[in-house]
Formats: sequence, structure tokens, C-alpha cells
Amino acid sequence: MKKLTKALAVLSMFGGAMFGTQALAEPFKIGICYDLSKAYTFATPQVSQAAMDLAKLINMKGGIGGEPVEVIVRDHGNEPQRGIECYSKLSREGVFVFDTLSTPVSLAILPRAMEDGRILMQSLVGRGDAVDGTVFDWVYPIGPTYWGQAANDVAYIKQLHDGDLSDVKVGFVYFDYPFGQEPIEILETLSEKEGFELELYPVPLPGSDQAGVWSKVRRDKPDHVIVWMLGGAHVVASKEMKRNRIPMDKYISVNWLNEVDIANIGKEAAKGIKRGTNVVGGQDIALYQEIMAELYDKGEGSGPIEKTQDVFYNTGLAMYSIMFEAARKAAEAEGLPITPTSYKAGLESLEGYDANGLMAPITVTAEDHGGGGKTRIEMWDGETWVPQTDWISEYTDVVWGVVKESSAKYEQ
Amino acid sequence: MFYRLSGVHHANYVSDSRIFKVPADRNLTAFIFLIGLAAPFIIPSLYLNSYMLPWLIWTAAALGLNLVTGWAGQLHLGYAAVMAVGAYSSIHAARFGVPWEFALIIGGLTSSVIGSLFAFAALRVKGLYLALTTLAMQFVMDWVLTHSPAISGGSHASLQSPTLALLGQEITTDTGFYYVAFGWCVLVTIFMLNLKRTGLGRALVAVREKDFAAAILGVNSFYYKILAFATSSFIAGVSGALLVATFFFLAAPEQFSVAVSIQVLAMVIVGGLGSIIGSYFGVALILLVPGIVNGLVVTLSDGLGMQIDVETLAHIPNAVYGALIVIILLIEPLGLGKLYGNIRDYLMVWPFDQFKK
Repeated sequence: MKKLTKALAVLSMFGGAMFGTQALAEPFKIGICYDLSKAYTFATPQVSQAAMDLAKLINMKGGIGGEPVEVIVRDHGNEPQRGIECYSKLSREGVFVFDTLSTPVSLAILPRAMEDGRILMQSLVGRGDAVDGTVFDWVYPIGPTYWGQAANDVAYIKQLHDGDLSDVKVGFVYFDYPFGQEPIEILETLSEKEGFELELYPVPLPGSDQAGVWSKVRRDKPDHVIVWMLGGAHVVASKEMKRNRIPMDKYISVNWLNEVDIANIGKEAAKGIKRGTNVVGGQDIALYQEIMAELYDKGEGSGPIEKTQDVFYNTGLAMYSIMFEAARKAAEAEGLPITPTSYKAGLESLEGYDANGLMAPITVTAEDHGGGGKTRIEMWDGETWVPQTDWISEYTDVVWGVVKESSAKYEQ
Repeated sequence: MFYRLSGVHHANYVSDSRIFKVPADRNLTAFIFLIGLAAPFIIPSLYLNSYMLPWLIWTAAALGLNLVTGWAGQLHLGYAAVMAVGAYSSIHAARFGVPWEFALIIGGLTSSVIGSLFAFAALRVKGLYLALTTLAMQFVMDWVLTHSPAISGGSHASLQSPTLALLGQEITTDTGFYYVAFGWCVLVTIFMLNLKRTGLGRALVAVREKDFAAAILGVNSFYYKILAFATSSFIAGVSGALLVATFFFLAAPEQFSVAVSIQVLAMVIVGGLGSIIGSYFGVALILLVPGIVNGLVVTLSDGLGMQIDVETLAHIPNAVYGALIVIILLIEPLGLGKLYGNIRDYLMVWPFDQFKK
């Protein structure tokens, strides 16, 4: 019997050692299960290119804690079933940090990640109430929620009107499905609180016909229009605004408005258009310049250079800077190999991190997985984006009220 | 040789209306059934939970659509909407505290009621008009789901499913989920196999071939069409509910969108209208092949050390997959089921096929 226990002990030690060394040799990997072929292709190529460039840059500088990092990019075609397949496959290969950049897939993976204890990053997509770290232990929607973004837009409008919104009219033009409907509750609450008048203008998908919407906007004469649409719908909206003689500077877009849309609207015609954003637009960014110097100038970029001149590339840089920074913190605090728990601690130790001026500073805590939800408003001046505000995060009590109310339903 | 026919004589109607007229078919089915039973022990868990399980549930669903489209000949473009009705009503019932067994049946019945209500309106028209009316049903359902938080749940319209429990047993393991899916798929398959040889099945086929000719024969075509819609909606509802309970763990409108409806229809058409084994193949092709081809292309390009940019890499499998569908339908317009039938017919008399000529 004694012999047997001894043998078992030796065996388990041996096994542990083997597993240990194996884990040590593994690079830190991020599983990027993206929709590269269907609905999200307006952003995923730029974001994944940013991720790959950033990983290359980090490896050139010696990796994290001396170990190389790796990003694994896979396509899921925006199908939940294939997203789950991607997640299951990669998590068996030792990946424990995932990003999907797709709301349906993020929703489908979320219950599994929560069960398996793997980190699901879901900046800018997925359910907004996941910022509530007390409920969603393993989900990190770092960046603004749509609720927070809408609240910040209202805060910006309030600044424009010297703090008094009582005789202001705000229009909300949105895609009539969950993505666009999400901010309505916040806007309604704020409208009651601040006394501004709110008009809702639902746009049926895919947003190619907005004639009725904008002629109604012309009649109602709102002072500002907050817009929750994507891609080509911005171009359609701008045409309809021209037709109805609505000045462009009334338009405040959600963060999904990029240089491609501006080019399609026309650089001159787009003058005055505004967007909320959590990253700095343009190319005048230290990290961007470094990537250009180290990779693209030497012909080692992960894709065409045109794709880097897009705000979604900056968005990607921001998202993955956060993920790698958290890994670095994890390696510093608890050494290699990085485990899901140490990585989680790494994320939650991020404080005022802004990737050297690339984005709104974020502070992640065990309660707030969103990092504070700061955004700012930028305006297109015909050549470049001009910031209109500081990084702000306003009405947090209202936003968190909605978050808590919604996350409580998940627990049931 | 493989399908030995010697000694197989059908001397009466009962014998002639057997499910398996040739012993080899029965043996093959039994063999596949045993493999299905043993799958959790022989198939790695990755493949079990991300390929086998969705494959079986979607096959059950596709068989339901095959009932209405393949047997009764009614084009249905709103099948995912019916699945959604079942999924949402089951989950709501289960969240309310109804045991899962009943919740699933409630889901099936609700789907059945709503599916046949629509059919009442839709069946006043035929052919392409019917297809459009069912498509309208899909859009109505999409709209209802995205506009009523009471049905679709809170943030981003996602509704968490409670833990599945059947016969007092909580089901939480991959193996458990697999057996639930397997059991349901087997049930639906047995039902469909039997449908072929019942009066109902024959009436449906008569309605499909020419509904007024069927009426002359005394088959009330409207009644049978409604019946087909109701039955297939029941299967859709339970399949939708099981899909969420064992695979997605939460219901979201995108899981039952119009694209999914068209996908299920593609499964049935590529598999073969009115073919049971075809539905299995069709689902495998439409549901699983994109992922598998994707994996193959990635491995291939990694193995050859090619530097392909990620976007191209994502589109190659789509092209391959599209080409595959076109090629299959060119080779055999009646679908994969017929392709299997051809092979079976060939083997039936092999190596003595010269006698047939």
C-alpha cells in the first residue's frame, strides 16, 4: 500500500512537472475569433491587423516577461455556432483570453466563458451590463458601453448649452434592433432628469432608406441628433440631411464612424460631423508612429498600410494594448506562466492606463470591468478630427442604475 | 453483395410496408445507432460538443422542415421564426419553474399553434406567394423579438436559459447534452421513418404532387397542409428549445434570424427533399463544412508556411464551400440523399449489375 502511494505521489509529481514545463514553454496567446467574412467586416480587418502588428512589435522588443506573445486570428462568419467552435478549439489549445468583436457570437460564448473561467474581452460589442464585475466575473467589456456613450453625448450637449438643457430638443436616430435600441432607456431617463425634449427616429435595417426619417427630423427641428448607426447608413443619412438642409454639425455619431465613411460622404461635405470615441483619431500617436517605423517602413506590416489609416485600426491598437498590458502586469505580479486568474488580476490592476496617449485612460476594478467608460466628442474639420471635449464619463449613477437593473436579470 | 436481396420476399402488405425492406439497411442503421450511442467515448470532446451536438439538433430541425417542404411540398421561409417561438416559450416556462419536460412540450405546442395560425393565413396562397408569406412571418417574429423586452429578455435581447434537467437529473456535462440531442434526433428520425408508410405520409405526398388531384381522391388538402405545418412547427419548437438549452445556453434573436431560416432550407434542399438520410448529410454540409474547411485551409496555409492575410484566409473557405454546393447540385440535383441512393442502388446488385442492363 505504501509503495502504491509513493508511486502515485511520484507519478503525480512527474505529471505536474511535465504539465508545468509545458505551460512555461507556451507563449501567451489571445484567441481572436472574428467575423472576417460577413457582417462585421467594416471593422474586423483593421482591428485584427492592429492586433497582429502589436504582437509583432511586442515580440521584437522581447515579448512579455521574456516569452513571445501570439495572436490567433480565426473567422467565424458571425455565426454563433462557429464562434463556439472557435472558442472550444482554441481553449483546448491553451488560449484563455478571447475577443469576438461580434455581438451574437459574444453572447453565445459568454455562458461558456463564465462556466470555464476564461477571459472574454468584448470591447464595444455584446451585452452592456457585463461591465458589472460582481455578476460577470470573467467578462471585460473594456471601453464605453453604449449606455455610457449616450450619456456622455448628452453631457457634451449640456456643455454646449451652458449647463441648461430645459429648452433643448435632442433627436435620436437609431437602427431599430438591439444595437440601436440600447441607449433609449438612458436617454429617456436623462431627458426626464435634465428636462430636454427627446424625439426617437427608428431606422429600419439595413438603413439604406432614411428619407422618411430625415424629413421628419426637418419638421421637428431638434437641436442635435444623436445617431446609432453603422457603415453605409451614415452616408445615406448625410445625403438625406443635405436634401433636408439640416446642418452637418447637428450629427453626433456613435463610435462606429470611420474614415471610409467620411470618404464616402466626401471630405468637404462631412465637415462638422461629430462622433463619440474612446480612442484618439488620426495618425499622430506615439504607438502608431512606432509601428510605422518598426514594421511598415521595413515592409513587415501585417497588411496594407491603407488599413492602418482608419480609426478602427486605432481602436484595435487600444483594445490589444490593454490586453497585452494586462498580461505584462500579470507576469510582473505573479510570474510566468500567466494563468486565467493572474491575468484577471492583471486586468484589474490597470489604473489610468491610456497606452501613451492613444485612448481614454481606463481604470479597471473588480466591480467595474468597463474601465470607467470615458469617451470624448470629436469633430471632422474637413481634414482631421478635432476634439471637442476632454475624456469624460458623466451621469455614471444613471448608467450604473441601468447596468445593475439589467445584470440582476442575468443572475436569476 | 452488400445489400443481399435473396430470400427477401414481400408476400403481404404488412411485410411490404416495413421500414427496412432490406436487412442490410436495418443493420447499417443499427450500426450507426450504436456508434451514436458510443460517440461520447470514441469522439474527442471538442468534436462532440462543437460538431456532433449541433449537427444532431439541426438535423432534427431540418427533418421537421423536410416534413412540410419535402413531404407536403409547401415552401417555408420562416422556419427559424417557429424555432424561436419554441425556444423562447420553453425558456420562459422553465424560468417560471415548470419542469423542463413540460417546458419543452409547451415550447413545441406554442410553436405548433403559432405556426399553424400563420399557415391558416398563408395557405390561402400557393407556391412562391406562400414562400413570401412565410418570409413575412419571419420578419414579424424578428420584430416582435427585438421590440418586446418582456419576451426577449434584458440587455441586447438575450435570455438566459436555466440549467436543463430531465427526469429529475440536472444535465451539465458535454456527454449529457449530447445524449439529449441524440435522443431527440432519434425520436424525430423514427417518427419520420414511420411517416413514410402511414396514411398521413401518403396524403401529404398526394397533396405535394397536385393538391386538387388529391382533393378529387378525397384527401382534404387544406387540412393536411395545416397538419403538416403544425407537426413540423412542433418539431421546430422543441428543436429550437433544445438548441438553446444544450448548446447556446441563452437565446438571442440573431440565432433565429432570416439568414438561419434560409440556411435550414438550404440544408433540406442540398440534402434532398423528402429524404431522411439526406437531411443528415445536408445539415452536415451546410452547418459543419464551413468550419471544417476553414480549419483545413488554416492548417494548410500554416503547414506550407504561406503568408496569407487573414481576410483572404477567411474568404477562401467560403468560396470552396459555395463551389461544393454548386458541384453537388450539378452532379445530383435531387441532393445528397439521392447521391447516397445512387450508391446504394449500384451496390444493391453489384457485382452483377450487368444483369440489369
